[in-house]
Amino acid sequence: MKFIKKIINFYFREYKVNLSGIFDILTNITFFFISIFIFIFSVGPEKETLSLLGVGILWTLLLLSSTLSLRKFYQDDFENGSLIVLHLNGFSFELISILKTISHFFFVQFPFMMSIPFASVLLDISLEKMYDLFLSFVIGSFILSCLGSISSSMNLLNKRNYLLGSVMVLVFSIPIIIFSVGLINIEDNFNSLINILIGLLLIIFAINPWASGACLKLAIQNN
Amino acid sequence: MRFLINAKRFDAVSDILIKPLIFISIAFLIIGLLFALYLSPEDYQQGSTVRIMYIHVPSAWIALMTFLVMTVYSIIGLAFRMPFGFIINKAVAPIGAIFTLICIVSGSLWGKPMWGTWWVWDARLTSVSILFVFYLIIIFINKSFENNLVREKISAIFILIGSVNLPIIKFSVDWWNTLHQPATISKLSKPSIDPSMITPLIIMTIAFISIAALIAILRVKTEIITRENI
Amino acid sequence: MLLAQNITLHRSGKEIFKDINISLGDGKIIILKGKNGSGKTSLLKTILNILEPSSGLIYWKGKLIYKNINDYYNNLTYIADKTTSLRQLTLYENIKIWRKIFLSNVSYDQIKNILSILKLDNYLNQKINTLSLGETKKFELLRLIIENKKFWVLDEPFTNLDFESIKIIEQTFLDHVNNNGFIIFSSHQKPDIKNVEEIILDKL
Repeated sequence: MKFIKKIINFYFREYKVNLSGIFDILTNITFFFISIFIFIFSVGPEKETLSLLGVGILWTLLLLSSTLSLRKFYQDDFENGSLIVLHLNGFSFELISILKTISHFFFVQFPFMMSIPFASVLLDISLEKMYDLFLSFVIGSFILSCLGSISSSMNLLNKRNYLLGSVMVLVFSIPIIIFSVGLINIEDNFNSLINILIGLLLIIFAINPWASGACLKLAIQNN
Repeated sequence: MRFLINAKRFDAVSDILIKPLIFISIAFLIIGLLFALYLSPEDYQQGSTVRIMYIHVPSAWIALMTFLVMTVYSIIGLAFRMPFGFIINKAVAPIGAIFTLICIVSGSLWGKPMWGTWWVWDARLTSVSILFVFYLIIIFINKSFENNLVREKISAIFILIGSVNLPIIKFSVDWWNTLHQPATISKLSKPSIDPSMITPLIIMTIAFISIAALIAILRVKTEIITRENI
Repeated sequence: MLLAQNITLHRSGKEIFKDINISLGDGKIIILKGKNGSGKTSLLKTILNILEPSSGLIYWKGKLIYKNINDYYNNLTYIADKTTSLRQLTLYENIKIWRKIFLSNVSYDQIKNILSILKLDNYLNQKINTLSLGETKKFELLRLIIENKKFWVLDEPFTNLDFESIKIIEQTFLDHVNNNGFIIFSSHQKPDIKNVEEIILDKL
């Protein structure tokens, strides 16, 4: 009972932190929409091109703009010492990374999910494709959160090269983007591709706590 | 074989190995280039461009082999807590990157007359370019962390994750329909290449491996000297 | 309660400290002294089981700490030389978050009382980033009361504090010790408390 209460209270804290930083998230969403505008200006507004490229553009931009905010994943809590205090109050590093990943999924990726319908209207994506896009993004963004947790915990002690974390995430997100764009564009392969995506999600969700827990421990020991 | 995991032994053994390696690499490179550029026959389809193979194939093998070595040494470093593994990792990464670059550039030069394009997005080419990106990230990790302990462990973890790419590169030509031809030389079957071409290829491979080993030994030795503790 | 025997710490080949013996029990205060870089924070982190000692053993209630880690962490408060309060939130919100995270049963009246002693009660609805350095430090020390644990570990608790606040903190330490609590902290200045054991860390 105490354990569940602690987890709920952890999310209360996360909620407060993210609420005070709501404008960061909104800026992120704005970046996403502005990059859609720029894409449309650069490839031209013809409907045929847009319906051909739309899904790919949307997924790429979702990926890029959701990796923008990865630097903040653990950085703030690490720098002000909250991570140590949480650890000393019964949250193991593995538990912290699981909880943080889920909170990142809810507070950072969820707004992107909400903006998918509007973005697909702008890029002239049909309703059925939009459903698939939404589904693939729900799974894919959770994988992205896990990857982000691993890479940002790796980069906690990297004070010089902040972009390295995003580069790592982008490299490992190549399979995600292959399978999720394939999921939308190739009609008859839906079941097998979504099974592959879910499989990737489960693998990375299992690896994530151990990898990021070890990296967090390393960072706290050597700070 | 203890010199493979012990820094002091490695230092001693490498002192013995350096001179023969210099000799082997110079001799085999000269003989191999002679064979490759003048003595070996032209391909009946490809003409003289087939000679790019004698650079392309050995460098591709070394690019893969270097990553495999790094993977093995990451396991040694992380699991058995031997810092020598991390020394090898740091020393060897740029060599792998350079040979991957040579492989990509020579392949692209070969592709233009044969396939008609410099670059095509098939599975083999894409996975090798991802291998190059992995090498670059490993070098960046080695350059951007201030704390040695953290840097070593994180680059080792990253190498372990990145080693997923190796089987993909190896089997990409079998799994997908690629423009790139499947492997011509394999253990199980007879090589589908003429013996007059395989001799210079083997000589060039030995030359390339000894050059790579030479550079690696020099880099490992400097790395051992610069580290205060081993 | 806490017993450290001959602990030695090496980090990246260098010896940080050697053969430190600590025994802490009810009503005891230990102060760590030493020059900058003599390993005070490292020793505190070793006691917290964040760093592993190269040799030597640490016991909590007769068991090795990593075997008894839950009970150990349930009885321990650590104040680092950082502000763990969230700078973009108000004091009141921070107190609320802390009370929830630490599952504290300290009442708001009690906390308000202490805030007025620390002269922070006027700022209750202001954000942390409007406070001065010393005030943030005082607010950070409020966590000792909210967590309400037995064993306090503090890293440089007196930095940035004025004379008056130092007196208040010393008084809190004394009260805590009289309630069978025990404290270990690192500091450069000797506080005005009697019966303090000193451990001086110096490289030879």
